[in-house]
Amino acid sequence: MPQIDLDDEDGTLAMLRDSVAAFATTTGGATSLRERRAAGSDLDLAQWRAMADAGWVGLTLPEDLGGVGLGLREQVVLSESIGRALLTEPLAQLGVFSSVLLAASGPGETRDRLARGLADGSRIVSQVWQDTRGRRHPLDASLTGETVTIDGTGHLVAAPRTATDFLVMARTGKELMLVAVDAKTPGFSHSLRPTVDGSMIGSADFEGCTVPTDQILCRNTQVETAFADAIEATRLALASELAGLGARALEITVEFTKERVQFGKPIASFQTIQHRLVDMWSDSEFACAAQANAVETLADNPGLAASLAILAAKARAGDAAVSITRRAIHLHGAMGFTDECDISLYMKRATNLNATLGQSEELRLEFVSRERAA
Amino acid sequence: MMAAAQEDWNALSDEEFRRVFRSWVDENCPRELRFMRKQRPVFDEVSEWYHALAEKGWLSPVWPQEYGGMGLNPAKHIVYVEEWARLGCPRIPDHGIGLVGPLLIEHGSEEQKERFLPQILSGEHIWCQGYSEPNAGSDLASLRTSAVREGDEFVVNGQKIWTTLAHCANWILLLVRTTKDEKVRQKGITVLLVDLTSPGVIVRPIPNLRQEADFCEVYFDDVRVPAGNVVGEVDEGWRLAKAVLGHERIFLGAPSRPEYALRRLERLAEDRGAFDDAAFVSRYAKLRLDLYDLSSAFERFAKVLRTGGTLGADVSVLKVFCSELYQRITEEMLAVAGEEARFNDDLDIAGGQIDAMNLYLDSRAPAIFGGSNEIQRSILAKAVLALPN
Repeated sequence: MPQIDLDDEDGTLAMLRDSVAAFATTTGGATSLRERRAAGSDLDLAQWRAMADAGWVGLTLPEDLGGVGLGLREQVVLSESIGRALLTEPLAQLGVFSSVLLAASGPGETRDRLARGLADGSRIVSQVWQDTRGRRHPLDASLTGETVTIDGTGHLVAAPRTATDFLVMARTGKELMLVAVDAKTPGFSHSLRPTVDGSMIGSADFEGCTVPTDQILCRNTQVETAFADAIEATRLALASELAGLGARALEITVEFTKERVQFGKPIASFQTIQHRLVDMWSDSEFACAAQANAVETLADNPGLAASLAILAAKARAGDAAVSITRRAIHLHGAMGFTDECDISLYMKRATNLNATLGQSEELRLEFVSRERAA
Repeated sequence: MMAAAQEDWNALSDEEFRRVFRSWVDENCPRELRFMRKQRPVFDEVSEWYHALAEKGWLSPVWPQEYGGMGLNPAKHIVYVEEWARLGCPRIPDHGIGLVGPLLIEHGSEEQKERFLPQILSGEHIWCQGYSEPNAGSDLASLRTSAVREGDEFVVNGQKIWTTLAHCANWILLLVRTTKDEKVRQKGITVLLVDLTSPGVIVRPIPNLRQEADFCEVYFDDVRVPAGNVVGEVDEGWRLAKAVLGHERIFLGAPSRPEYALRRLERLAEDRGAFDDAAFVSRYAKLRLDLYDLSSAFERFAKVLRTGGTLGADVSVLKVFCSELYQRITEEMLAVAGEEARFNDDLDIAGGQIDAMNLYLDSRAPAIFGGSNEIQRSILAKAVLALPN
């Protein structure tokens, strides 16, 4: 079955795959997803801390910031594996995105403290930079002497209730800045909204939240670069998660159609079903190949070529996972339309991740416009 | 003709070999033959190029050097095919090189090798492949062209069809039925080498969609073939015929054809102002990314070959995707052509012409040949997903 095929000379990637698979046997994906959904929680803290203990949360953070210091190659395999296992804690947002922002910020007590906390699971570090439709939306910042005051509401925020800290994109009249705001800061409030797969995201509201200026992590072009890099890295992580969950949904569906008997035969013996499954497998193969291409291109040819490869990787994996899981539901028949059947969880998860940081059409248009401009 | 002595090409890095191969090909492949409209030119149209390759010893990339080939490993062969496509070199009649040669090297007698291999390299024998019959297409094992032993000869009767370039070939690699076994149809099939100039052979070209003759009907009426022209064992030809493709199946999914079509689509679209149309850009973006991702998928399989592995049945996913993408790109060319999409000849653009209809018609074929895409899906269902019967 399809898997992201990367060189693994020292066995790190195989170890990562094994460690996620072992983790998933104790905290099963579908079960914990259902529990979290029932609890209406935006993060399963016990599971999150276990993931941090495993080194997954700070996987790409440099070692001197408390991370594991691995690269996107390893992140891709980790994300693929958690996608397969249907582990739905928002690792891409709270792990990858925040790691890149912190690593790209200047050294300092705040940055170092947050990075270490993020990696060991003691701090939950989210980001605030989007409006309700996902567009970039810096909040208002005003500087007074030794403090900066944040006003405004950010949306589509991961874990806004459980997060201990927010990396807020904010703007004064002149300056763009990234400000770390503790969730305990007076004036902060949040709201939650369920996504289709039962996870919760929401808004983060800052009403005159005032913090010392040493919590400004970086400014202007540094903020631009940090976000551009964070968006790319997170897109790649999401893409690989989608590739993994698509491949797993395909496996489940192949097994189901081999067992489900109608007209005295397994339905997988019928040519119509076989050809659909082959098309799903093909989509899954292409999704995995696109991830490997992105990883290799990042290594050999950073810059525009790598940016294009990441856009392609998420567009391909998003389309593949969404359409594989949709067809998977159909092939499960009426069973597929029940909440009880796990296959729907894969479809819902794919829908959520595909919509995060750019759907496929948008990414393809960005690819073409950047390629043609070059 | 003596071919030039060959180096150990596999000792070079892929990039070194690419440089050496590209620079010689670019210098020696005649300009007027580059990027021909025809997918399958006949021998006379490309003989200059054929002989240039033969003299250099580069006609046959994968045959071992002892037989006059370059002896390339699969990784170098990929480079060879990629550069060939990149430089727009015409396809040469290559059944002798790609099919008959490897078959004889693997399964032929010493006498057969000595007799036939040099004639392929010199261009004296132009081969075609006699597999399909009117009632044996996708279901090849149902073939009925018969060969009956009479003394030192076989007497062949029957009909082959869709035989590419038979009208300009002088030899045919024939699959014939030597024994009828209703239970196991794959048994009783034999591989026979047949001189097309033999009495009783009639070749009739069939114009294709593009009104070009590139495939034919071939009739056999009491054609007498020496028994020494059987390859391998009598009745055991099926396995030979099936095994011959090997790693070359990857090339059925090489992105070069859709890539060429996409570049043509871009030029047409730029000329017609289609990039100002958001609906076109959206459709174009899908095609562009499909091509980009096809290259990524191709690379995944190429890497298996480069690292010394062998390809499984799963490689035909490339053929299915590639042939269908090629079709979708050429369909978009006609959409961009608007009212002009009715014309059979090329479309004028500033500074050139675009053969939209030529490519549109051409793109119907690859989803059919080499095992139709439906057959490929059925094979993948069994071989990769292990789905039941």
